[in-house]
Formats: sequence, structure tokens, C-alpha cells
Amino acid sequence: MRVHRPGLLACALAALALAAAAPARAQAPPPGVSPDLLDPEGSTGDVGSALGGAIGPVVTIEDIQIAGNRSTSTRLIERSLPFRRGDQLRVSDPRLARARWKLLALGYFREVDLALRRGTRHGQVIVTVVVAERGTVALNRLWFGTSAVAPWWLGADVGDRNFLGSGLALGGGAAYASAGAIVGARPQWAGELRLSAPALGGTRWGAHGAISGQHGSEPYRVSGPPGSGDADDLRAFGYRRLGVRGGPAYTLSSLSSVVADLRVEAIDAAVPIAPTRRLPDGRVTAIDLGLRRGDSRVVSVGLGYTRDNRPDPSLPHQGTRVEVVGELGTSLLGGSYDFAVLLGRYDRFWPLTHKSALGLRLAGGTVIGDAPRFDRIHVGDVDRMLAPRVMGMTTALTAPLDLLGTDNADTVYGEVGGSVTVEYVYQWWRRPHRIYGGDLFVAAGVWTLATTDELRLRDRDAFAALPVDLMVDVGLRIDTEIGVFEFALANALGRVPRW
Amino acid sequence: MVSRRRARVAVAALAVVALAALGHAEQRPQQRTMRFAERGTTLYVTTDVTNLFDKAAYDRLEDGLASTVVIRLWVYPSGKKTPVAFQLLHREVVYDLWGEIYEVAVTGPSGRRLYRVKYKAEALKLVTGLDQVAIAEVGAIPYDKHFELAIVAELNPVSAETMAEVRRWLSDGAGGGLDRGGSFFGSFVSVFVNLKVPDADRVLRLVSQPFYRKRPKR
Repeated sequence: MRVHRPGLLACALAALALAAAAPARAQAPPPGVSPDLLDPEGSTGDVGSALGGAIGPVVTIEDIQIAGNRSTSTRLIERSLPFRRGDQLRVSDPRLARARWKLLALGYFREVDLALRRGTRHGQVIVTVVVAERGTVALNRLWFGTSAVAPWWLGADVGDRNFLGSGLALGGGAAYASAGAIVGARPQWAGELRLSAPALGGTRWGAHGAISGQHGSEPYRVSGPPGSGDADDLRAFGYRRLGVRGGPAYTLSSLSSVVADLRVEAIDAAVPIAPTRRLPDGRVTAIDLGLRRGDSRVVSVGLGYTRDNRPDPSLPHQGTRVEVVGELGTSLLGGSYDFAVLLGRYDRFWPLTHKSALGLRLAGGTVIGDAPRFDRIHVGDVDRMLAPRVMGMTTALTAPLDLLGTDNADTVYGEVGGSVTVEYVYQWWRRPHRIYGGDLFVAAGVWTLATTDELRLRDRDAFAALPVDLMVDVGLRIDTEIGVFEFALANALGRVPRW
Repeated sequence: MVSRRRARVAVAALAVVALAALGHAEQRPQQRTMRFAERGTTLYVTTDVTNLFDKAAYDRLEDGLASTVVIRLWVYPSGKKTPVAFQLLHREVVYDLWGEIYEVAVTGPSGRRLYRVKYKAEALKLVTGLDQVAIAEVGAIPYDKHFELAIVAELNPVSAETMAEVRRWLSDGAGGGLDRGGSFFGSFVSVFVNLKVPDADRVLRLVSQPFYRKRPKR
């Protein structure tokens, strides 16, 4: 039985309003001092350029000479420079200073040095660019954990951002999950291979393509109370998925881009005929497993927009990240499912002092129509105290902590869901080498997930029909020479069985 | 068994604390004796930030590209964290490869001045010297109270927007189009060769000896 919670929602909204209205700095600056100049830890780059004026002679670029690139092609580097041979500019022109950062922004180099030397005629210069390449292989994601559904699972996603020095990004992942003692369950595995070109021919256009496959089994509840851990209350059905996707991308600015893609996926699912669930009160009800029995196809087109102006995405203290993704699946293109998905994500950080910041993270979306099970919102997507899906596979059916007594354990997949999290970040340390920095963080928020039926066929108002619950997290983020790590309570909770 | 687990937790915690301590040590400003003088209604300081340049940075002054130095000065009451005065200085130097001279622009509270000098050492002195720089109105510095001057000097600092551009690849995701199947909501944790791009070529942090204004005798 769910209860009305207008008070809780009011509190959440008030917290949001407070977060939005939080002052940029805890201490007011002295009169005549601009607040953005007061951070002794911060950089004054903008201030410097604003106060500067053009000095030095006007020169003509006679030649551009590039050295130090062992695997990255010279053409790729030249295309990324903001000037060309024959350009006339003043030596203090920002384009010359920016060239170094343009090359570093590729992510292929650890060092870029630019210098000018005299050309063959008076007023002409030769630009020399010396680069030192860096390792571009990254471990993007790591999955592991244990649950009653999968006694153990393990997976990794790796990629190379500069494959063979071509500027192409090649990546892929693989995961395996063993089968638990659930009738119908089987070992699951999945794989994916991706290739993308961030800038085709040095233009703002890019392209991407991927192929993925899953051999999985999807657990569902046939009896017992919500959240019960008894394997006899669960069943699983097997499925296979094989999909390809690809499309163009366009860089709108140095901080924003749009991406479009077409996805075609074949699904073969051994969905039981007329699956039912026996409720604790003895009633038997039909359940929607969200897939066609036998062979079916998903054909969809998608569009995404991203803008990220956080100066340090690893340990953010300021800036905003916005991401919106829309997808339309239709039988007009030969698919078996007609659906639309709209997902959004908004992260914003406000510096409070030079050592602390307040973050607001909003994420959520809605799924309309007859979306396949895998395209619906999973409870692990919105409650970070639960294990996320592993390459689209479900590896745990752990019930969320019912902190508000809202009977939230029943919905594993939903059509409306999201989370609002307020995060306080404290900068523990920063240093220039090896272990660059560490931030302690404390986060609290609310999450919700509901099916369309729960909202449409309800005996209470819409707010009360949304299962809302709390999420809390505390941990340490570390930015190191070998990557970014997060040690978080929520992360640990999602990887161990609670029943 | 339990004690072994506790020992492991303790070792891990100690390692994290040691790392943090190491990080703090590198952030600490250097103590520097500076000269303060009061003239009229203004307080002036004389010092330099020459240590901002190491040999490599000094040699780069003749690479034909502009080098920028941004110096920020704060006057704090001793033991307090809120500054009572602030000053911003901006210096830029360019070597003219064909004219074989250094052009230096010095911008501060008294406006902008341009210099042309023959030698690198002279150019260095112009961009790093703080000679009788106005740091505060005396009205903000009460008699007989101790204050300190904090200086942060940066060589070729980078704007927050440029940093966002440089580090954007970190949050580009795994590539391959739109995130689906939970990846869209996934948190950002990644392992890679992550060579940090500093937000300035070099940074020098200085703090002065405590100083005070002596009450004039009547």
C-alpha cells in the first residue's frame, strides 16, 4: 500500500530551489573585487586575455614543421591547427597560443611544444610543433558483482582513441554472468565492437558505427512478495540479440555536439506464453515481459545533444553538462516495436569556496509506446544504490532499500523514471603529478520509477502513484595518472547481494 | 579473520591519508620576505616572482611566441581567510625574431605600458619584478594589526573554457553513438593513461612575512 507524500515532494522541491539559489562563493569579496578573481587555487586565463592587447610584429607563416609524432599522422595534426601556411598574423595572436591546446584537446599527446623561427624572407616564420604521444588505450567501464540472479559477473569495456595513429577510435567490451538457481536461467554473455571517427577529414563532421550481441536470460517474478529473494519466486527466459548501429556526428562548438544514429537489431526471445504472477493475496495477474515471443526486430532512429563546459570532468567543481537523447522506433522502417524514448541528463556544479562545491544532478526520461524491455528504464539506472545493467543484461534483481516505505520493490523496468541528487564535494587535495587530486563527496537525492500502467490505472493522484524513494551516497573520487576512480558506498551496495 | 580485515582497511586508509598529505605539501605557498612602504593613502610592495621561470621557461622567452604572466595579490589579516584588498597584474612578452628585440606589455593599476628591450634578462625582470606596486588603500589596513600578502603568479594561464575543451575527451564516453541500456545514466569512472594538463605552465605561490602599519607618534 502506497501513501500520499506531498510533504516529501515539497521538501525535495525546496532542496532543489535552495541548491539552485546557492551563492557562487561563501564569502563576499571586498569592494571592487570581482568574485571570479578571488580563487587563489584557480586560474586567471580569461583575465589574462581580457587585459592583454596585441603586441609583437605581424608575420607570415611560411611553413609548419611537425616532429615527435611516431604513430599519429602529420596530416591529422596539421588539420587540427587553427592556422595554415600563408596566414598572416601577429605573434601574440591568440590562434598561436590556442594551437597547443587544440592539439592537447585531441587526447593523443601528453606534451605539445610550439615555437617560431625565422623563415627564408624578412617577416616570414616557420612554426615548429613538437609533440610527445601518450597512451590512448582506456578502460572505459568495469563490471563485477554477485547476486542471486548471477552468482558472479565480470566484464570490461576498453577502447583506443587513436587507433594506429589514425585518429579513429576503436573500442569494445565483453561481459559474462553465471547463472543462478532460477528456473530457466542460463549463463549470459555479451560483446560489442565500436569504431568512430571524431573528425572526418578535419571537418566538424564525424561518424560512428557499432555491432553488438547478447546471449542472455531475463529474470522475472512469478510469485511471492515484491523484493522477495526466494529463487522459487523467480523464473527466467532466454533471449539473443544481435544489433548494428551507426550514423553521423557534428561538432557544434568546442564544447557541444550532436549525434544521430540508425539502429537495427534482431531479437530472438523464448518468452513464455501468457506469463502470470501469483500475488501474495492469491490473485493471479498477467505480466508484460516487454518482448515478442520468437523473432522480432528493433529499427529506430536516434538523435542526441551534448554540451559539457566543466573544466575538470574528472573532479568537477564548476560547469554544466547537458545531455539529451531521443529515439524513435517504428514499424514503418520494418521494426516490430513502435516506441519513443526521451532521456535527459543535467549536471551542474557551483563552487562554494575554493575547496568545496555543490552539485545538482538531474537524470531521467520517459518511454512511450511498445518499447522492447531493454529500452525501458531499469531501476539500476535511477537508483545508484543498485547494480546497473551489464551491457544491457540484467545481473541482479535486488530490491531497492525502502527508505520511505513506498513499496518500490515491484518495478524493475519502467516507462517513467529519474533521479534528483544534490551533492556536496570537498576538495581533499590537488597536486601536479601521479595522483592529481581527490574529492570527498556526500550525495542525497530522490529517485522514482513507474510503469505507464501504474500511472494510468491508479486509485490515487499521479504524484502518489509514482514510487519515490531516497538515495544516499558517500565516497571518494580520485583522479590519477592511470585514470579516474570512484569509491562509493552506493557502488559497493549495488555489487553485493542483500538477499 | 576480522582483525586481518581491519588491518587491511587501516592500511588502505593510511595510504589514502599519506597521499593526501603529499598533495597538501605541494600546494603550500613559499614564505618570502617582502618590502612594504606607505606613501600617501596607498600601501606598496616591492618583491619579485622570478622563480616562476625555470630554465626551460626562461629559454622559451626567445621562441617567438607570447609568454603571459598573470599575478594576483591579496592582502589578508593574519590568521583570517577573507582578503581586505586585491590587485591584478598582467604582463606579456614577445620576442621579435626579425627585429631581435623583446616587446613587453605591463598592465596594472597604473595602466598599460609598453617596453622594448634588447636582452632576455631585461625582459624577465620586467615581467616578474614587482617594484613599488600598489596593493591596498591604507584605509583597509588598520594600525597595529598584522596582515600578510599572498601572491599567486601564473605563467601562461589557461581559461576555464579552454580547459573544458582540452579535457572534453574525458567525458566523451566510449564512442560509438548514443548511450543505451543503462550507459546513459552511468557514472563516470574510467581507467586510462591520464596525463593531467595543468591550467598554467607554472604557478608560484608566495606569502609575505606578517606586516603591520605603525601608529604615527603624536
